[in-house]
Amino acid sequence: MEFYDVVVLGAGPAGLAAGLSSYEEGANTLIIEREKYPGGILKQCIHDGFGLVEFKERLTGPEYAERFIKMVRNKKIPILTSTFVTSIKKEEEIFILSVVSKDGIIKVGAKAIILANGCRERTSKQIGIHGTRPSGVMTAGLAQYFVNIMGYLPCKKCIILGSGDIGLIMARRLTLEGAKVLGVYEVKNSPSGLTRNIVQCLNDFSIPLYLSKTITKISGDDRVEGVEICDVDENMKPIKGTEKFIECDGVILSVGLIPENEIAESLNVEIDNATKGPYVDQNFMTKVDGIFSCGNALHVNDLVDYVTESGRLAGKSAAKYASSKYKRALNPIEIPLNKFLYAVPQYIDINSDNNKVVMYLRSRDIVKNVKVIIKSRNEILYEKRYTHLNPPEMERIVFDFNRSSLNDYSIKILMQEG
Amino acid sequence: MNGGAVLGRIEKIQGEIINSVSKNIFCAEKRNSILLEGEVETYEEVIKAGKLATNRGYKGVINNIKVKGLTLPSRKHPKLIDNKLERKKVDVLIIGGGVIGSAIARELSKWEISILLIDKEDDLAVHASSRNNGMIHPGIDPNPKTKKAYYNVQGNKLYSKVAKELDVSFERCGNIVLYDAWYGKIISPVLKLRARLNGVEGMKYLSKRETKELEPYIYDDFIGSVIFPTTGIVSPYKMTIAFAENAVLNGAEVSLNTAALSIKCEDRKIIYVDTNRGRIFPKIVINAAGVHADEIAEMADDRFFTIHPRKGHILILDKKKGQFLNSIVSKPAINQSKSGTKGGGVTKTIDGNILVGPDAVEQPFKEDYSTNKENIDNIINKHFPILPLISPSDIITYFSGNRAATYEEDFIIEKSEYVKNLIHAAGIQSPGLASAPAIALDIEKMAVEVLSTMMEVKPKEKWNPYRKGIPELFKMSEKERNEYIKKRPDYGIIICRCEEISKGEIVDAINSPIPVNSLDAIKRRVRPGMGRCQGAFCTPSVAKIIEENANKNILEITKKGGESYLVVEETKKGGGAQFGIL
Ligand SMILES: Cc1cc2nc3c(=O)[nH]c(=O)nc-3n(C[C@H](O)[C@H](O)[C@H](O)COP(=O)(O)OP(=O)(O)OC[C@H]3O[C@@H](n4cnc5c(N)ncnc54)[C@H](O)[C@@H]3O)c2cc1C
Ligand SMILES: Cc1cc2nc3c(=O)[nH]c(=O)nc-3n(C[C@H](O)[C@H](O)[C@H](O)COP(=O)(O)OP(=O)(O)OC[C@H]3O[C@@H](n4cnc5c(N)ncnc54)[C@H](O)[C@@H]3O)c2cc1C
Repeated sequence: MEFYDVVVLGAGPAGLAAGLSSYEEGANTLIIEREKYPGGILKQCIHDGFGLVEFKERLTGPEYAERFIKMVRNKKIPILTSTFVTSIKKEEEIFILSVVSKDGIIKVGAKAIILANGCRERTSKQIGIHGTRPSGVMTAGLAQYFVNIMGYLPCKKCIILGSGDIGLIMARRLTLEGAKVLGVYEVKNSPSGLTRNIVQCLNDFSIPLYLSKTITKISGDDRVEGVEICDVDENMKPIKGTEKFIECDGVILSVGLIPENEIAESLNVEIDNATKGPYVDQNFMTKVDGIFSCGNALHVNDLVDYVTESGRLAGKSAAKYASSKYKRALNPIEIPLNKFLYAVPQYIDINSDNNKVVMYLRSRDIVKNVKVIIKSRNEILYEKRYTHLNPPEMERIVFDFNRSSLNDYSIKILMQEG
Repeated sequence: MNGGAVLGRIEKIQGEIINSVSKNIFCAEKRNSILLEGEVETYEEVIKAGKLATNRGYKGVINNIKVKGLTLPSRKHPKLIDNKLERKKVDVLIIGGGVIGSAIARELSKWEISILLIDKEDDLAVHASSRNNGMIHPGIDPNPKTKKAYYNVQGNKLYSKVAKELDVSFERCGNIVLYDAWYGKIISPVLKLRARLNGVEGMKYLSKRETKELEPYIYDDFIGSVIFPTTGIVSPYKMTIAFAENAVLNGAEVSLNTAALSIKCEDRKIIYVDTNRGRIFPKIVINAAGVHADEIAEMADDRFFTIHPRKGHILILDKKKGQFLNSIVSKPAINQSKSGTKGGGVTKTIDGNILVGPDAVEQPFKEDYSTNKENIDNIINKHFPILPLISPSDIITYFSGNRAATYEEDFIIEKSEYVKNLIHAAGIQSPGLASAPAIALDIEKMAVEVLSTMMEVKPKEKWNPYRKGIPELFKMSEKERNEYIKKRPDYGIIICRCEEISKGEIVDAINSPIPVNSLDAIKRRVRPGMGRCQGAFCTPSVAKIIEENANKNILEITKKGGESYLVVEETKKGGGAQFGIL
């Protein structure tokens, strides 16, 4: 069995950054990737806009990934590709990974592991679409793979359900490739994607966006022949009598991403219902000692730059943890769920010598002129005014805390008018 | 007038139907069956009239009543036309490649005869045989003395053996029927008696505590339960495919995308069967056409029954929740309709998921598998409470199937009384899967009997009852799995991350004894795309493997045969980058 200080699962942007920083921190590091090439989902995101924060440049997905792949290769950090982690067991203080590849099954031992295995897309059944089950109904990510990686059009005249970013980007992509996109239908009364994508992907190509509408039925035997569209009420329930049939040969779904945490769950890592990713502290360590989480496996990010940042922070912490284990004292961060969708991290380890917290949060609703305040007992750790908070747009904030003043007290996040 | 029809009987039925259903329905006798014709306002009336005419001393009910304004879609047949089977002579032609037709083909392959099994779809088990719960019922539900009761109990007994011979995972997990005070008192004596009459072994009453020891995660809303330990669970499509593959390995022939379109009879004997792939001249024909069995009977002028499709919806939950259930648990509602379903419940599948359902809905469309919110919501409301730890967010998909119910509500397993060389295995609704091995043995006997009047029928000297399935690496010990990968590295390349299916397994499916190359057919054999992402990740890789191993262009690859193409054309620039798993 080979032993490492830190093993990273996944070589997407999160895993690459995590592997790099863990290595730079001095840990003996291994990255394991299921696919033949590193890069994760970025390989199929051939549009630009990646890296504005990280590199102050507009890169395409593959370009962005390539920069990190080069850094990893230059440092000769080992990446096992076409290699799949089937299970992880904790034995005493060591994690034992079962790893499958064309060479057989091997065991790999690690002092710390970083879960950077990304997310999957919600499917039509998971949002309760009914009707027949023809071919031509697919997630936006699958359509993106067909078009960008394989060079095939999955349909010629389609509608897109859901205004998530991948859906918006695919609306433009399919249009550029000669398919007709009849419209993007969103059940909520506001789009879920970034404003920049609404403008650049829909408006610029005159693709209509319909809010408060959804698909209630798909028809067609072999291929999709059409869909039934309905208006929905304020509870997102279809309104009888508003049904309209639209002919099309494809339905592309962009209805949400779900962090992949099956391996985490098998290790009894507690999952936050709000993010669908693990609870973590400011060092990105989950509630199980030695297991770290970052990127889209932790929570769904809208910018890859933040994915990289979380990977980098997780990598650094994991390396530290591997070199000298420490006892944690986790204090929960309190968050009013009527105001926020979530905030990551959810805990503060007050024993940690890292007292700088990088926090990602999303408001629950579109709100204007609010103050976000973070306080511990009576001390205000952070305060910022926002003219505008929008759930699709994640906010990143950084604050320090003073350990001594924190004992026994949790940190509270507040949102106030004004 | 045929059969021993009683004078005035038909008038009596006609009167009742006019009184309680519609005056636009006309009854007549046809041979020894009762024929209903006319036009009514609703489909419910059609069913009601059919039921009124049932068990009134006729062999069967031929219900041809139409509903005003309702046109049934014409039968769905393959678009393919060729003459692959033109003038083909076979000893036995089996119409229908569900579990029944496939099991029959396998049992008949013991004999020195030529066998051709045809199915109109691009794979076996596309209809009821892949759209059910996979439960091998103990045989307690059917009324004593029915064929259902007999074949169910016999079939159940045979399962351990056939599953082993055919290398299909099968487990006697048992099923638990929870009851409350009322149900316990009324039903329990009936159950005991019925178990004895039907020959169901091992039935046992359990206290609440004993029940909870077996199923610790179920709710508390019951006082005790009955357990049927002989109940088993199997993958219905894998079972069907295994039967058919074993038949093929023993010399039978399977022709997919082949529909029986019409039948030519002379002197009450089938001369030939026309298909979209040529005219077949069989010595005998076995009708195992599922929901379409009445149409096949009609083609041979031997219609004496009616299939009224009874739809059932089933939900599939994420494997993650599999740990909260060990067997099959149901709690019948007091007001449950008798003829409907057994009420459904929660079922742990052989692959570790949980199924919830089915329900039972009478509706006129034989191949309509669409689902709607109402039915799915009803199932959620009815059965989810049994397992408090499951929630709608655990649903990975749902589907529906149609049971081939006749008005008599019993299996039809017999030599035609009218056509000399036709045998029916029809009306095989639930528990048809459980009964299949026993039904097949009896049909085998009948077929050999009829054939023996036309030719010499000898047993095959080298019949091989065994068939090796595709290895399931995910279920193996690491040591065994390692050995497989060492022998064939493709077994180490994981394509489907949710179900952990390797490239090797997918290649095996493509090259199996009945070669297939649609996504769904591969899914039925080795499960890529059956997990929580429903193929969003692995579809392109599976397509690529098909492209390489089945000698197909990606533009020709379909989801489920016909025109269900995956992609429609190349992009402007054509071929893309070299990424992905492969
Ligand atoms: C289908 C899809 C399309 C997207 N399209 C866009 C887009 O167009 N624009 C945009 O801005 N954002 C897009 N996103 C969001 C994008 O995923 C994130 O911005 C970013 O790529 C997430 O990085 P990550 O490293 O967390 O995950 P990923 O990039 O998904 O990387 C995770 C890696 O882990 C590997 N892995 C998983 N499980 C295992 C295991 N058991 N063993 C070994 N390896 C494993 C995976 O193969 C993968 O390479 C998309 C997301 C998805 C799911
Ligand atoms: C929701 C539901 C749940 C069920 N649960 C269970 C259960 O748990 N346990 C159990 O034992 N049973 C169960 N059943 C019943 C079981 O599924 C059926 O009894 C069984 O599958 C019937 O098999 P079959 O071969 O007769 O029919 P099918 O599988 O329908 O096969 C008939 C075949 O004939 C073919 N065919 C039809 N017409 C033609 C033609 N003209 N030419 C060529 N081919 C033709 C069709 O393509 C089809 O493949 C359930 C059924 C449903 C619907």
